[in-house]
This record gives sequence, C-alpha cells and structure tokens, in this order.
Amino acid sequence: MVAACAEKTYAGTTIADVVSRAAVSRATFYKLFNGKRDCFDAAATHCIDRIALTVAAAASGYESPAEATRHGAAAMLELLAAEPELALVLSGDVVGVDPGLVERYCAFTVPALEGIWEREGVPPPKHLSPGLAFGRAQLLVFHEVVAGRPERLPALVPDIVYLAIAPFAGHDEALRQARLAGAEAAA
Amino acid sequence: MSGPSALPRGRHGLTREAVERSQRQRLLDAAAQVTAARGYEETTVADILAVAGVGRETFYELFEDRRACVLAAHQELLDDLVAHVRAAYEGPGDWVERCRATLRALLEWFAGDPALGRFLLVEPAAVGPEFHAIFQAGFDRFVAMIDEGLDDDLPDPQPLPAASLAVGAAISRVYGEVAAGRTARLPALLPQLTYETLVPFLGEAAAREAAFAGAARGAS
Repeated sequence: MVAACAEKTYAGTTIADVVSRAAVSRATFYKLFNGKRDCFDAAATHCIDRIALTVAAAASGYESPAEATRHGAAAMLELLAAEPELALVLSGDVVGVDPGLVERYCAFTVPALEGIWEREGVPPPKHLSPGLAFGRAQLLVFHEVVAGRPERLPALVPDIVYLAIAPFAGHDEALRQARLAGAEAAA
Repeated sequence: MSGPSALPRGRHGLTREAVERSQRQRLLDAAAQVTAARGYEETTVADILAVAGVGRETFYELFEDRRACVLAAHQELLDDLVAHVRAAYEGPGDWVERCRATLRALLEWFAGDPALGRFLLVEPAAVGPEFHAIFQAGFDRFVAMIDEGLDDDLPDPQPLPAASLAVGAAISRVYGEVAAGRTARLPALLPQLTYETLVPFLGEAAAREAAFAGAARGAS
C-alpha cells in the first residue's frame, strides 16, 4: 500500500496495485482489510509508528530538550531519506484522505516535545503554535521528496530543528540550535 | 471569481476564436465550482457541462477528459492567486509593509470564497499522481516570488531557508482554516501570520514590531 501510494498517490491506487505489489491474492486482502481505505489507515498508522519509534530511540538519553530535538530530527530525516515513500504517504496522501490521521501523526510529536520542554520549566512563548510548526516541517519534507531529492533530506536538519524549537524556546534559541545542528551534520 | 455568462443564441457576430475562449472559460469556472462543491471523485463531465452551459462535443474538442479540465481550472485559479498576491508584494512601501500587504491579500483571497480555497488546496490530492508536481510547482512559485522581491539590506538568515519557511507558514495556516471550513476568520490571523513569516528574516524584536505594534498602528 505504501509503495503503491508513493508512486500513484492514494487517489490513483487500486486494490489491484496493492495485491500485485504484495504478491497476495485479492481474497487474502479482503480477509485482512475491509477495503482500500481500511488498508491505507493501517499502512499510515504503521508508518507513523515507525517514525515515532525511530525519533524516540534517537532522542532518548539526552538531558537537554534542544539536544534531544536535534538528534530526533536528524534520525527522522535519515529514515525518510532512506525510505521517502513514508514521507510521500504521511505528508501527501494522509492530508487528502483524512485530517484525523494528520492529527494522530502530529500527536506523537507535539506532546513529546511539550513534555521535554516542560521538564525544563521553559514557559512557551505565545506567538508560535507547535501544531503549526509540525505542519510546516511536514511541508518542507514533502517538498523535497516530490522534487525528487530525498537524498537531500538530511540537509533539512537545521530547518526542522528550528521549527521544532522555536515554539518552545523562541526564535533566538531555535536559530542557535539550528546552527549547532548544521555544524553537527557537517562534522 | 464570476465567470462570463453564456453567449446569446443565434447570430452574435463573434469570431470562432472568441466563442471558443468564452466556452473554455465557462468550462474552467464550472469545473472549479463543481469540484469545490462535490469533491473531485464525485464530479462528472455532465455536471461541468450543465453548469457551464456548453455541449459535450465542445468539451472534448477543448479538453482530453475531466482530469485535464479540472487541472486546467486549478492552474488558472493558482495563476489568479499568484497575480493577486504579487500585485500586493510589488506595491508601495518598505519591505515589511509590502510583506504585510501580501499576507493580507493572501488571507482575503481565501476568505473571499471558501469553496475555491478548498478546490485550490484540498482537491488536488484527490486527482492523482499529478498532485505531487502541482504542489511542488506552486510552492516554488511563491518561494521565487519572495526571493525576487527581497531587500538587499535584510540580515542573512543562514542557515535557514527563510523564504521556504515563510511559504510553509502561510500554507499551514491557510490550509488548516480552509480544511476546517473556518475561512471567515483568516483575515484576523494577519498579525500572527506576519510574525511567523517574518521572524526568520528579521529576528524576534523586529518581527514582533512588524506583526503586532506595526499592524496596530497601520490599522488605526
């Protein structure tokens, strides 16, 4: 399902595309899923879980929220560079198919970020919303992938770090962390 | 956007080209209107013909199929939006004032017709694989527009791609409101969006001034 959607988008994908890629019969497909939408929801949830686990593993063990964010962002972009179809499905198709799925995708990221900043006792500035920052990060990733440059995703680490930190620690700290992330990536 | 009305029947003294232009325009307007109301999946060529008042044969002389007509309508609507915001960006005043005018023009354009906003932002995903190229080309047009009009004396926002961040901020805001059917409140988001857009270019203090203090003075 993920591979078919990445190539043809959800709208252009048929059950035939899915079963031929998976090398399973149509009967087996309908034993497992109610239909195209049901299979897509399961596939999208699986993609979200994979990204969430990757980010959580990379971010764990870092004391400071900024450090955890830098490492989490770098790991996420490496995963998406290796498997751009995850980004195509989550940033493209999910948006058109069901905004509820976007919220689920957003929901693993934003509370996690809020949590690590709250532990630091940093009061959130009121001018940037973490939910919107998430949408903006998704757009940057999607743009790079549809432009056919998934291998350049890791170069977005400073931008994603900036977007992820600015709603919590403000522009100046976010810019400082973005520069640091850029230097880490270059090293 | 109100389209041209149907031509008078019988002898009207128009050239064949003028008739074709009028028919094409009515089909594009109808395609946008019907797709915005029903969604792409539910839109048929017959619906488009009924609203446009154009015959099936003419439709297929002008467009290969429903998809081609809807994509042409989408392209035309995007051109209209770009022209609208570009006019504001190239207007009078310093860069910050021009940015504020551009964002105001953007928000008002989307607030003006909720259905067309949906057609522009939400429906392309339902059309199929063309969606990827449409998204990329649209995004790039706005980034290029911002970059062309930049002031030389702006501080260097390295390492951030400030123009891409600005376009992303605007799309996120507008998409969220359009998808939720809350386009009426878009113009009220101007200070917020001005801040989000300008902060990577100007830094914290100047962006706050431009978005909140400057906007309050401009409104009084």
